[in-house]
This record gives sequence, structure tokens and C-alpha cells, in this order.
Amino acid sequence: MPGATRKIIHVDMDAFFASIEQRDHPEYRAKPLAVGYSGNRGVVAAASYEARRFGVHSAMSSRLALRRCPGLIFLPPRFEHYRAVSRQIRAIFEEYTDLIEPLSLDEAFLDVSKNHKNMASATRIAQEIKASIRSQTGLTASVGVSFNKFLSKIASDYNKPDGLFVIKPSDAEAFVEKLPIEKFFGVGRVTAERMHRMGIRNGLDLKRLTKAELVASFGKMGHVFYGYARAIDTRAVEAQHLRRSLGTETTFSENLTDNKDLLLCLQELTEELMRRIGKSEFKGRSLSLKIKYEDFKIVSRSYTASGYITESQTLFKIGRKLLQEAEVSKPVRLMGLSLKTAASNRSLWKSNLQLSIPFETFSVESQHS
Amino acid sequence: MKFIVSSTELLGHLQAISRVINNKNTLSILDNFLFDLQGNTLFMTASDIETTLITSMQVDSAEGEGKVAIASRLLLDTLREFPEQPLSFDINNSNLAMVITSANGSYNFIGQNGDEYPRLPEMQEDAQSLSLSVPQLSSGISKTLFCTADDELRPVMNGVYFDIKDKEVTLVATDAHKLARFTVPYLNSSVTDEQQAAFILPKKPAAMLKNILPKESGEVNITFDNKNARFSLSKYTMVCRQVEGRFPNYAGVIPQSNLHRIILDRLSFVNALKRVSVFSNQASNLVKLDFSVNQLRISAQDIDFSISAEETINCQFGGEALKIGFKSSFLIEILNNISSSDIVLELSDASRAGLILPFEKEKDEDVLMLLMPMLIND
Repeated sequence: MPGATRKIIHVDMDAFFASIEQRDHPEYRAKPLAVGYSGNRGVVAAASYEARRFGVHSAMSSRLALRRCPGLIFLPPRFEHYRAVSRQIRAIFEEYTDLIEPLSLDEAFLDVSKNHKNMASATRIAQEIKASIRSQTGLTASVGVSFNKFLSKIASDYNKPDGLFVIKPSDAEAFVEKLPIEKFFGVGRVTAERMHRMGIRNGLDLKRLTKAELVASFGKMGHVFYGYARAIDTRAVEAQHLRRSLGTETTFSENLTDNKDLLLCLQELTEELMRRIGKSEFKGRSLSLKIKYEDFKIVSRSYTASGYITESQTLFKIGRKLLQEAEVSKPVRLMGLSLKTAASNRSLWKSNLQLSIPFETFSVESQHS
Repeated sequence: MKFIVSSTELLGHLQAISRVINNKNTLSILDNFLFDLQGNTLFMTASDIETTLITSMQVDSAEGEGKVAIASRLLLDTLREFPEQPLSFDINNSNLAMVITSANGSYNFIGQNGDEYPRLPEMQEDAQSLSLSVPQLSSGISKTLFCTADDELRPVMNGVYFDIKDKEVTLVATDAHKLARFTVPYLNSSVTDEQQAAFILPKKPAAMLKNILPKESGEVNITFDNKNARFSLSKYTMVCRQVEGRFPNYAGVIPQSNLHRIILDRLSFVNALKRVSVFSNQASNLVKLDFSVNQLRISAQDIDFSISAEETINCQFGGEALKIGFKSSFLIEILNNISSSDIVLELSDASRAGLILPFEKEKDEDVLMLLMPMLIND
């Protein structure tokens, strides 16, 4: 690890959207509540703890949620409002540090190794932040304190809700050894299954494998897991979270089958995406088209251009090509379009190392289409 | 109208032109083949609007004339299942009901009005012409097509450039990393010695030609104006829209005086590259070439997976040691598109274009491949 031990705090708001709604509507307090649309095609964006007890969680279809919890109250989301509360919380963080890396509206990493109040104890800072959030917003947060991102995130999850948990450097390795493998960063369902098949259930099992063995099984992530098993994570808290992608999608009120309707929808998505690009000044080279069929199967097709895609005509042309490639004989329920900085490491490599032929015509020419 | 055809001969013709049909068409008539019976000749057309392919064959017992559009997928699926035998087609010109009668049964379709099928674009009066031998065009297309780009931002590179001057035609394709140039003398052309004429053939029709040309022999006549190009062969005709715009100045980027000249056995080079590149980083495909006197060391490594490989092969090289990196997939593709058994590598330094040339030249044909290196860190 480089230099002195860092002090990293991970703040995770408890059932953020749902808690805001319960705060603003006293009649819904202590009741199962979901933010989202209750219609046939709606999904749960957030669920209150009361609803979670029935097995309702975010990203679940509203239909299934209602089946699990028949008395579930649905409220339409008010994202502008949630953003405002999120800004309020960010202002609290800023009293302590500028090194804030928001992961979403309700989650952020803070590096308080150096802080504006010159406080030595990160635990003390965490307590103050929790108290300020409660007094200024009436909401609760779970906070994890440790010396890297990996551990502080695990710590915030440890005592949810309204928790505060500290993993000290001296306890870290022992803590990680007992940690179930599913809790590790970067271990999703598929990786977890593979780990299980290899007999890895927790951090200790993971630690028994050599770096070469991990790399052989998990590629690049092998290096990362090797570090995690030893409580090592050198990633910095990055204050300016660089936008990697910008997208928009729409679920149709009726499934679409006709190519003309799909093209019309593509046109609308293109315009919406252009509007968002204009607003954010984001530049991207790789366009992805996502299609969800009536059977909920999702396919996506993407295309990486040699330069930034900035014109709506080019965007539409590429989108149309991707639509051609995707099979649309089945009824389509959702279509999405997103622009990314680069498709993957693949194109990054290409742009960094592969030299291009120095054609005069293209060095200065702005693109006509 | 009525006619009798061999099932496999008809299938062969239809399969060759069917590749032009898009899976999804906004214009539904394009899901069809157009059948046009004129005397004893049956003309069959497939199109995606931009590119149209027409083929013809002689039929037996023809009666009547006319045009009808027939669902391509239905017809192909049916024909594929027949063993070779005569099939009789009977089409009612007024209601377009159609019956195919085979040895054992009959198959009923309803056609569509052939007049709804899009018409071919007319060539302008000032169209130029060019003729060359079929095997040479075939060789030229297959040696350049793989270098075309797939770049929506630079559409002029998504095709093969035909550059006609000085009694020769040069085919060029490039994706800005690699470039292929192929020159042959033409047989005839309306382009005079003082003139130059050029057009860009899009990737899709070029791929169609690559597929059809080996079935043909003799001459191909090319007619082109400033919008369209027509390729006339004995059994097939292709008409397509050109790519609009100006092709990059390829001549200016081909190095004239690369210092280092290395001669290599093509197959042993390719095979070594194929083995070593398995160990290259999957994203970059970078292989390093280290040249020393009469030796080439090829190496690759993937740090992420802690794997590496190296091989040393013989070559003819008398210069100072030289190191250069290439994307192995590009290099292999280029070497696979050269037919000569030995190749010449002409290199300058690790950051400048390398040339790959056949050592023994095919009669009348001049082939040059260019590949930009990848930067190496050591």
C-alpha cells in the first residue's frame, strides 16, 4: 500500500427513496411502501424496510411485489426531490472533505485521511456525519469506516440499517477471512457459483489460492481478488467521477413488432439521447442498442466508431444498423440507446497502441455524413 | 406463364443472388425475387435498393412471358429440399397464383405484382466503361476487401476504391490501420490516357462480387457514372450505388524508401505468428518482432494471465537489429491474402508503416499491403 494508512468512509443511505417518502408522508410510516409504478409493467425502484420483510426489493416487477405483499403502497418516484436531498447530504460531506466519490444518489465514498476539521478519528467523523444527516434530513444512513474502499463498503453493509461499523487495520485480515465470498466486490452470482465449485466459500478459502491460480481462473479480476483476500485495495477515492456512459430507454405501453414502429422509436430515442448529450457535454465513441423482448430476454448490440459520435444523423444511422443486426422478429417491449466513451479495454488498447495511417484528408476534416 | 427448370440449377442461381437481400426490409417487396420470363430466358433479380443482382438461365418448354415477385425465403426453403429433378412452374399472370409441380407433388404460392419491384437506375450518358479479366478482378477484390473499414464516421473507407489511369486499374482499401493496393492492366476502357477516373465500390456489393466471380470466366465489363456502377458478367449483372465522397490520398502514405528489407517464408511466418499470438494480450493482440542477422524472434505476452511465448525463425536480413510490434490478427490476415510463397517485409522503424509484398509476382499483377505498427514499450 502506498504511504500511510488511509481513512475511508462509505456512507449508504437506508432505503433512501422509500425513507424520503415515509418522512414526507407520515401516514405511510411503518407501512410497506414501494417507490415505482404499480402498473402491469412497472418495477420497484426502492422498497421500505417494512416491504423488504415481505421479500420485496428493488428492480423487482411490481406485479411480483404485489403478490408477495398484497397491501404494498406504491408511490410514483420523485427523482428531482431525491436529488435535492442527495445534494443536502453531499453538503454535509463537504464540511469534512473534498474527496467525495458519489456512486449514486444514496451512496458515496469519502477519503477523510486529511479533513477540513483536522480530526484524527475517522470514527468520530462518521458519527458526526450520521448525526448531521439525521438532524438535517430526518433520514438514517449506514456508515462503514476502514482504510480502503473495499472494506469500508463491507463495513457499511454490516450493521444495516442505521449502523456504524469500523474495520481497523489490525482486525482487517481476520475479518476478511470470515467474510462470505458473495460479499466481495466484483463477485456476482456467476462468479460466486464458480468460486463455490472451486471450494471457495469465504475469504480464508480465497487466501489459500496462489496469485497464479486466481489469475488462471478469473483473469484480471484474479489480481484484484488476491488483494482483497489480504484486505488490500489500493483504489483511490476519485472526487471527479468521470462519466463513462449516457443512455436512455423506453418501455412501450404495447409490445412492438413492426419494423417501422421500431425505427420511429429509435428516432425518438436518438433525439432524447442527443438532448442529454447536449446537456451534459459528454462525448462517446461507442453506441449500444438494447432490446428487451416480450419474454424478458435482453440482447444488446454495440458499435465503436473511430471518433466521437456527435451528430444525431450519425447516431441514428448507427442505431439503425444495430437494429438490423438484432433480431426483431419477436415482439419487443423495451428499447434503449446508450453512448459510452469506449466499448471496452479492447478499443482502449486500439486507440493507445495501434498507430493509424497519417491520411491528410482525415487529420483536420470534420465529418460530413 | 409456364416453364420447366432443373431444381438444383435454379437453386444455385437464386442462392448466389439471395445474399443481397436484407433480413429486414422496410420495403416489403424486397423480400422477394423478381422472376422475368422473356422467351426461353428467365431473369431473376434480388435487391436491397442500393445493390441489385440479376442472373439469367435458359428454361425449357417456356410458354408466355411476364414478371412476378416471389417470396424469397419460401422459395429457397422449398428448393433446398429437392433432389435434382425438373420442376415445372405455372404462373397465372392475372391473379399471380403459382404452382410448382415436382415428380411427387405440387406446391402453391401467391406471387406479387412484378411491376411493384423497384426499377434499376439508368446510367448517365457520360458513363465511363472498363473491362478486365474475371480472374484478375476476382483476385483484386479478395486481396483488398479485407482491408475495408466499418466506420460510420468515415463512410468513404467502407468500400474498395477503383482508380483508373495509365492503362491500369488500381483497387485500394484501407481502415486507417492497414491498407491493400492491387494494380492490374485493364483490357479496354473509355478512360483515355490523359484522363483519370475513379469510384468507390461499397463493401456489400464487393463481397457479392467476391462470391460470384469464381463462378464466372472471361471478361467483366464495368460501367460507371458519378452515382452508380454496373458489373456485367456472362451469367450475372450487378448494379450498385457507389459510396459518395473522396477516397483518402493513398499514394501519399505509402513509404517509398523503407531501409530494412527482410525476406521470409510466408507459411512458416504465419504459422509461428498463429501459435505465438495465442499468448498475446487478448485485447491488443500485440506481437513483437525482433530482427537480427538472418533471424526473426516473434514474442508475445499477456501480463494479466501471466503467460508468454516466443519462437525464432529464419529470414534473410542483413541489417542492424530492429524491433517492431504489430497487431497479430492484422498481420496474419495480410499474410493470408498474399499468394506468393516468400514475402518481403520493408520496414523503417518501430513507429512507421511497414510494407508487406509478395516476393514472386503474379503475372501483370502488383500487390502491396501496408500495416501500421503498434507501439511497444521497451
